[in-house]
Amino acid sequence: MRLQGEIERFVRGEPIAVEVGEIERALGSLWQEASRVGDTVAVSRAALWNVIIPARGRAALATTKQLVDEIAPALPTRTLTLCLDDADAQGSGALEATIESNVVSQPGGARMVYSEEITIAGPSAAEGHFGALVRALQVAGVPTATFWLDPTAPESLLTRELLAVTNRLVLDTTACVRPQQLFDMERLSMAAQPLPIADLGWLRLGALRAMFAGIFDPPVGGAPLVQAARVTIHHRAGSDAGALLLLAWIGVMLGWRPLRAAQTSDGGVRFDFARAGQPVAGHLVPADGACGRSGMFGIEVTTDAGDRYAIRRTAIDQAELRTPGVPPKPVKLDSPSDAELAIAALGSRGRDPLFARCLSYARQLWSLETDTAASRR
Amino acid sequence: MLDESGAPRSATVMPNPLREGLAEERVPEPAVMVIFGASGDLAHRKLLPALYSLTRDRLLPARFAIVGFARRAISDDTFREEMRAACNEHARRRPIDPALWSAFARNIFYHQGEYEDPAAFVALKQRLADIEKSLGLHGNRVFYLATPPSSFASVIRSLGQAELAPKPPPPGAPKPLGAPPPFARVIIEKPFGSDLETARALNRDVHEALDERQIYRIDHYLGKETVQNLLVFRFANGIFEPIWNNRFVDHVQITGAESIGVEARGGYFEQAGSLRDMVQNHLLQVLSLFAMEPPVAFDPDAVRDEKLKVLKALRYIPASDFEQYVVRAQYAAGSSGGQAVRGYREEANVSPTSTTETFVALKLNIDSWRWAGVPFYVRSGKRLPKRVTEIAVHFKEAPHLLFGRRGDSIRPNVLAIRIQPDEGIALNFGSKLPGPAMEIAPVSMEFRYGSSFGVEPPEAYERLLLDCLLGDMTLFTRADEVEASWAWVSRIHRRWAEDAAQQESGRAVLPTYPAGSWGPAAAEKLMTADGRAWRLP
Repeated sequence: MRLQGEIERFVRGEPIAVEVGEIERALGSLWQEASRVGDTVAVSRAALWNVIIPARGRAALATTKQLVDEIAPALPTRTLTLCLDDADAQGSGALEATIESNVVSQPGGARMVYSEEITIAGPSAAEGHFGALVRALQVAGVPTATFWLDPTAPESLLTRELLAVTNRLVLDTTACVRPQQLFDMERLSMAAQPLPIADLGWLRLGALRAMFAGIFDPPVGGAPLVQAARVTIHHRAGSDAGALLLLAWIGVMLGWRPLRAAQTSDGGVRFDFARAGQPVAGHLVPADGACGRSGMFGIEVTTDAGDRYAIRRTAIDQAELRTPGVPPKPVKLDSPSDAELAIAALGSRGRDPLFARCLSYARQLWSLETDTAASRR
Repeated sequence: MLDESGAPRSATVMPNPLREGLAEERVPEPAVMVIFGASGDLAHRKLLPALYSLTRDRLLPARFAIVGFARRAISDDTFREEMRAACNEHARRRPIDPALWSAFARNIFYHQGEYEDPAAFVALKQRLADIEKSLGLHGNRVFYLATPPSSFASVIRSLGQAELAPKPPPPGAPKPLGAPPPFARVIIEKPFGSDLETARALNRDVHEALDERQIYRIDHYLGKETVQNLLVFRFANGIFEPIWNNRFVDHVQITGAESIGVEARGGYFEQAGSLRDMVQNHLLQVLSLFAMEPPVAFDPDAVRDEKLKVLKALRYIPASDFEQYVVRAQYAAGSSGGQAVRGYREEANVSPTSTTETFVALKLNIDSWRWAGVPFYVRSGKRLPKRVTEIAVHFKEAPHLLFGRRGDSIRPNVLAIRIQPDEGIALNFGSKLPGPAMEIAPVSMEFRYGSSFGVEPPEAYERLLLDCLLGDMTLFTRADEVEASWAWVSRIHRRWAEDAAQQESGRAVLPTYPAGSWGPAAAEKLMTADGRAWRLP
């Protein structure tokens, strides 16, 4: 029998320290006791996904736990956060575990839905235990998603262990501060084949892509894209990876063949493509301003005839669509939260095969750039 | 690139290569939606809030305009302000986003006119051409008839006379060279007729001006997620369809209960009654989706063909045993939500000698191989204890009661499909109580949309407006479906009229039920006579 205070802390969502080998038993006992002491509402223990999130260091752990708390109201999951942390030199070196509930009142107040969060932390040397623990703690009958949000450590023992029990891999290319890290992301994606791969960075570009694509719906149609002479992506400095993915998307969809790359005087990069024997230029142009986490300001297509079709951010959640012959149209540009993107990644939008094609193409584009830079040296 | 008229310069419109991969978001072609009856309750409470929510979810095309048409003389700006207030009060996500509203409102316009005045429609045609030119639209139009039903025919006639909604080429006709012609679609609100004759007459009027492929008869129940989930539940899961028949199902109960009275709609309800207001459309549509055979494809006509077969297979109620199949009643004073409420005859705009039913319970039989011998009990009423719509499938008992009968602890399994509120599905079954004795208790296994998906389902009107813009007619009612349901319902109305004529007063004698109860005693008898009881939803 658990202490009353412990049960109340658990129901309030506070972490309860437990023995690593006793996690499942402790959870079972706490849920059972919680439903016994619940005076007015039924307790539902729910999980639609097992979510595994590795985090390196306490700072990453804090960010991860905040994300998990934000996901909980919209999606019941069993979340396993695996923290590798060598900073605590005085520690015993053993794994530590806490369990907590995430409590959500449903509209109307008649029901409370609870999902659960398990955190296991230990030094890097304990990494070898994580695979077996994950296998033991997965809720049966529901799929498992692994959120690999750290682009600096794409390959490890943990990666290999986790991919074997994962049904969906979730990345975040927005965290790539250097485009070279896209190479690592692509390697991880290849290793995960044939799993569906979702990317929070790709989803973050979704609103801009959809708005830009909408310009070429009827009555305009796709002709200006086929006649494009130049495409310009305006982005915040340091968001080159996202800009590269956007350019890759257009290149993939329009069947452009990458030829060469060169740095430009404005600090950007110019890519040359062949389009049915005709040249097309793609520019990544860094700029300053407010543009949300996606880091993108806008996309502009200029046709052979000089017509311009563009989406341009005018405020953090506003943009303007520009089409020849009609006045600019202001549109709302959503900036979904990380939690909203994570939930989308676990839905149908997280099974977008186009992402893998664009990631591969982006890597190919950046290879041209790095080759060019190397030849200059 | 557009020419001066707003039409593309090129004769053909090349497909948009960037749309691939964005397919999960179905975005319709640019269009203008004209709402007739724009001053009315429906436009304020449902239509504009739904269009705003669609815009917020980026499901409408970047170029989209709304034109309100009504009799009042007001300006575009006044109409926009009224719609802003309406969206602030009724949109799914409130308060509205000022920046989004500003962009949305720019393309809202108002046009004053009388529904019976052909000149107003000629003026509307010019107004639409001006709006389309200024916004770069190329002529796709949806006309929403949110007017009183008495205006349906005249509006449709005027649309035809003004050539605002030209018929599409006949099916199989050679496709024209160049861009496809713009579409013109008409959404017609319920009630579609008040009996079989008026429904047929309205269909005739509509078909004189329009092709059936242009007509979207809306029944907002079909836009509800749980009603659409009926199809998924039945046809995407292998385990349910094999037991969806008379070998396993004992009977089915369909309840459409409202806790409110007639409120401000007394005048309308006096002419309608529960059978017309709820059963002829909403509940028979739900029943037909529940009971239909698997369609050959998930396309509009395949689904509607199967629904039609169910409606045609509804057995007419025998005249000799009418009372054993049909119960009607009227609510009397009682209690609702902890407050005393008045009876129906005391409501505003209701006759003190009214014989309009506010409750109806029916026993239906579907003459088909699948449902032979399975009664469907349908009830609907106002001022019942709570607002709930559900389908409850009562399965047959286990063929041999291995554990004997222990009071009522072993009950037949019930699958309850909750359409509103708390949308979801629950399966009741017996389970052994922990302990040394073989005690059995009923337990429930529940799926709730809210808990499982954590997202707020879109309003029914959002889904249906979007479907119409996309040209998807699956969730709209076809002419033959409407006539088939009226053919069945009108017989009941005729019988009630005959019964009334035989009374000395010339009026029907209706039982009453206290507001806040589950209906009259006769409704209970309808079930107990068959050895069954209504489930408490």
